Amino acid sequence: MAGKGIRIEGLRKRYGKGDTALDALKGVDMQVAPGEVVGLIGPSGSGKSTLLKCLGAVIEPTAGRMTLGEEVIYDNGWKMPDLRALRRDRIGFVFQAPYLIPFLDVTDNVALLPMLAGRANAESRKRALSLLEALDVAHRAKAMPSQLSGGEQQRVSIARALVNRPPVILADEPTAPLDSERALAVIRILNQMALQYETAIIVVTHDEKIIPTFKRIYHIRDGKTQEEAGEGRAFE
Amino acid sequence: MISLAGRDILHSWGKFVFTGVGLGLLIGVTLTMAGVYRGMVDDAKVLLDNSGADLWVVQQDTLGPYAEPSSLYDDVYRTILGMPGVDRAANVTYLTMQVRQGERDVRAMVVGVVPGGPGEPGQPGYLIAGRQITRGHYEAVADIATGFKLGERIQIRRNHYAVVGLTRRMVSSGGDPMVFIPLKDAQEAQFLKDNDAIAQQRRRTASNPAFNRPGTPGLLDAVLASQSVNPYINAVLVQVKPGFIPEEVAEPIRRWKRLQVYTRAQMEEILIGKLISTAAKQIGMFLVILAIVSAAIVAFIIYTLTLGKIREIAVLKLIGTRNRTIAWMIMQQALGLGLIGFVVGKISATFWAPIFPKYVLLEPGDALLGFAGVQVICALASVLAIRAALKVDPAEAIGG
Amino acid sequence: MLALLAVVLPLLALLIYVALRSGPFASIPVTVTTAESRSIAPSLFGIGTVEARYTYRIGPTVAGRIKRVEVQVGDRVEAGQLLGEMDPVDLDDRIASQDAAVKRAESVVLAAGAQVREASARKSYAENQASRYEQLLHARSVSEEAVEGKRQERQVTEAGFAAARANLDAARQELARVRSDREGLIQQRANLRLIAPVRGLVAARNADPGTTVVAGQSVVEVIDPASLWINVRFDQLRVSGLRAGLPVQIVLRSQEGIRFAGRVLRLEPIADAVTEETMAKVTFDALPERLPPVGELAEVTVAMSALPATPVVPNASVQRVDGRLGVWLIVEDKLRFAPINLGATDLDGRVQILDGLKADERVVVYSQRALGPRSRVKVVERLEGVSP
Repeated sequence: MAGKGIRIEGLRKRYGKGDTALDALKGVDMQVAPGEVVGLIGPSGSGKSTLLKCLGAVIEPTAGRMTLGEEVIYDNGWKMPDLRALRRDRIGFVFQAPYLIPFLDVTDNVALLPMLAGRANAESRKRALSLLEALDVAHRAKAMPSQLSGGEQQRVSIARALVNRPPVILADEPTAPLDSERALAVIRILNQMALQYETAIIVVTHDEKIIPTFKRIYHIRDGKTQEEAGEGRAFE
Repeated sequence: MISLAGRDILHSWGKFVFTGVGLGLLIGVTLTMAGVYRGMVDDAKVLLDNSGADLWVVQQDTLGPYAEPSSLYDDVYRTILGMPGVDRAANVTYLTMQVRQGERDVRAMVVGVVPGGPGEPGQPGYLIAGRQITRGHYEAVADIATGFKLGERIQIRRNHYAVVGLTRRMVSSGGDPMVFIPLKDAQEAQFLKDNDAIAQQRRRTASNPAFNRPGTPGLLDAVLASQSVNPYINAVLVQVKPGFIPEEVAEPIRRWKRLQVYTRAQMEEILIGKLISTAAKQIGMFLVILAIVSAAIVAFIIYTLTLGKIREIAVLKLIGTRNRTIAWMIMQQALGLGLIGFVVGKISATFWAPIFPKYVLLEPGDALLGFAGVQVICALASVLAIRAALKVDPAEAIGG
Repeated sequence: MLALLAVVLPLLALLIYVALRSGPFASIPVTVTTAESRSIAPSLFGIGTVEARYTYRIGPTVAGRIKRVEVQVGDRVEAGQLLGEMDPVDLDDRIASQDAAVKRAESVVLAAGAQVREASARKSYAENQASRYEQLLHARSVSEEAVEGKRQERQVTEAGFAAARANLDAARQELARVRSDREGLIQQRANLRLIAPVRGLVAARNADPGTTVVAGQSVVEVIDPASLWINVRFDQLRVSGLRAGLPVQIVLRSQEGIRFAGRVLRLEPIADAVTEETMAKVTFDALPERLPPVGELAEVTVAMSALPATPVVPNASVQRVDGRLGVWLIVEDKLRFAPINLGATDLDGRVQILDGLKADERVVVYSQRALGPRSRVKVVERLEGVSP
């Protein structure tokens, strides 16, 4: 359900205890509205992946507050008992590589998520198909992932991220292996989808080719973020 | 919900089936080994069944005639015939030796039977071709495992026999096929050697002054004649009249005739408990080791198959698949592998079992047990893989 | 997908095939035959050795040394022919000495005869003298003494005559005795000659000249080759119906392809109790061209007269189940065990069924496995693994 996007206040993450403790996040604030595509940029070791993992409900933060859509999902402790359902229903993932399940065809790769949520197979496939159409890969609906080009696979993975209409999508270096034309195409799609499905999208990247397209950018350094206005250049 | 395990199998069915076939051959070997053991026990049982006897009368204090050599005079059967409860008693001799046919030699157990008629103890119970022995000399009924065919002439010691009948599954406890010949010929075969040896023996007797006295002209001839006569047999097979208990018929014979008598149950114990027990233990040990090795290999295969999917599993976990679903997918694949393996194993065991030189008995009970065992092992093996899978951190999918 | 089916379906099919063929569901292949009513002619089979009816073993009646043997093995001899001779040693000399003794005895007899004549003459004279003197005594011409004296002389000469007569008898007896001794020695001498008693063939030459043999040991064996017969042994279990006159077929071990016709000559009244065999003598109708050597083995088959027709089955059909003999019948595709009573069998394995079976019933002959009352069977032409 697309709601008010995602909002983080004072998120902290500490690894370890005592003298050897390491503070990867030292109070991060972020806010992304539905339909927005923001960039998250930072060098390695800056806590970028930790932040992503917290956002993705993969690890538990140490302190802070996370609001997803209308709901507070973390407030110095998980408010939702079922993280996995959270990931399945309310967070979409787009990875560096498409990571499609090789033994499911394109439709089922996308339809898997609604099926996991308990929806009937026929309905799940219908939803999947509508997304595939939106992403212009419906003609490959019956193919196996290995038969698709890289770009097509990436689009299928985006469809998968969107199929359950999550309020937020986390994209981790989605354009890293691509050339500039394809990279811009991906960003274009993400922007399209964000608006179409009213989803907040956070793109973790250091790809110079696409950074100029963001209207807003969060820089993360030493466990703290800083907001910055981006160039918001239109796509070529 | 679609079946993840099914889809995975369908997608890489070639690899799956190939692995299944490999596993199946291993299972087939294990099933065959069990069959070899059962075959050995069955050989012993079949030997007792085929003799058509209820009681075995042998030399006193021996475990004969199969486990130990036993020697009786061939007129003992007459006194046994007179005992109460005895329906039929027939002499029988056993000798394991090489039987020649044309250019080749076959190892067989030559059984000397009284050619009295059908149903006589010692005679083969059923034939697959030809007829039973009707003449008192120079005819033979052979088991098909010898490779002899109807009408062929075979040579046992110094005489030639015409094969007039064929049997199946008439084997000794050691698995040697049987050849039935008339008793008198068998007594001669057991005793008389080849011509050279006989000539030698005559020479030696003639040069012994005790036997070759000039004053007694007929003595040497009489001695030589007595040397070429064999009045011994190995056992008397007894059939008990209907209505009599074999043990009750056996006891008077034991006590008054100073002979050893075994009932069917006692013979089975001797054969299985003593004669084949060492070989059986040998095979039993090997079977256990084989089963353990098979289990280990199955576990290894399933573990490896799972590890090959670790990235997919991480992705699945990340996108929100339940642990339960992932575990069930792995277990389903393991059980499916086990099923294919068992099917392949059972089929291959059935097809290659007849090729073995000794009898391999594949019992349906063993097959069911094997199936259950394979599935259990696969399930247990999958547990290891499942543990590994569940330990995967979904965060792996998200690069550092 | 198609490829997958191409693998899975055959596998499944194979599994089903395996389960049906070799498991407990499998049916046992059997062959059947119809019991037919026919008459069988049982035959007896026995093994015998070729023997000569009469074998004459010729040898000395006393121990001695062989001087010569005139014949070799294989020679044909006539009755009365000299086969050989034992060494007479001193027998000839003893005969010569006995000849001399006979002559001497003859001389003694002559001498004794002369003595008798002499004594007889003296007796006559003495008698005449005595009677004359007795007449003279009546005339009182001579003395009593003189008459006594003549009487006494007469007695003496009578005695002398008797003695001479006895002596002659003795001499005659002595002559007879030495003559008999001589006869005896001559007989013994004749005995040293080994003579063929009949016309025949020399079968064995057991000792050569110079060998010492004991009384009773045979030096030469002669047989009449025309009198060859076969001494056959039959197992006692099946000799009922065997009697003299039955026709037989003889196969000699050395001439295996040829069957000779023959006849049972007689059954021996004494059987072999140890080997439990009855013995009989069988003759050739016509002797083989190549005479078999004595001692060669022969297989003899006696054809007995055909028995009346009864239902007949192959002996492979007869089985023993639960202590009873019977056959397995196929009745409406199901197996049933029928106990039977057996009659005679012939050498080809056909058995008469006296009771328990009717003609035209279908009887199981061969089966792939042992049959039981609950076995499922499938009728086939021929069992696998058996070439026609």
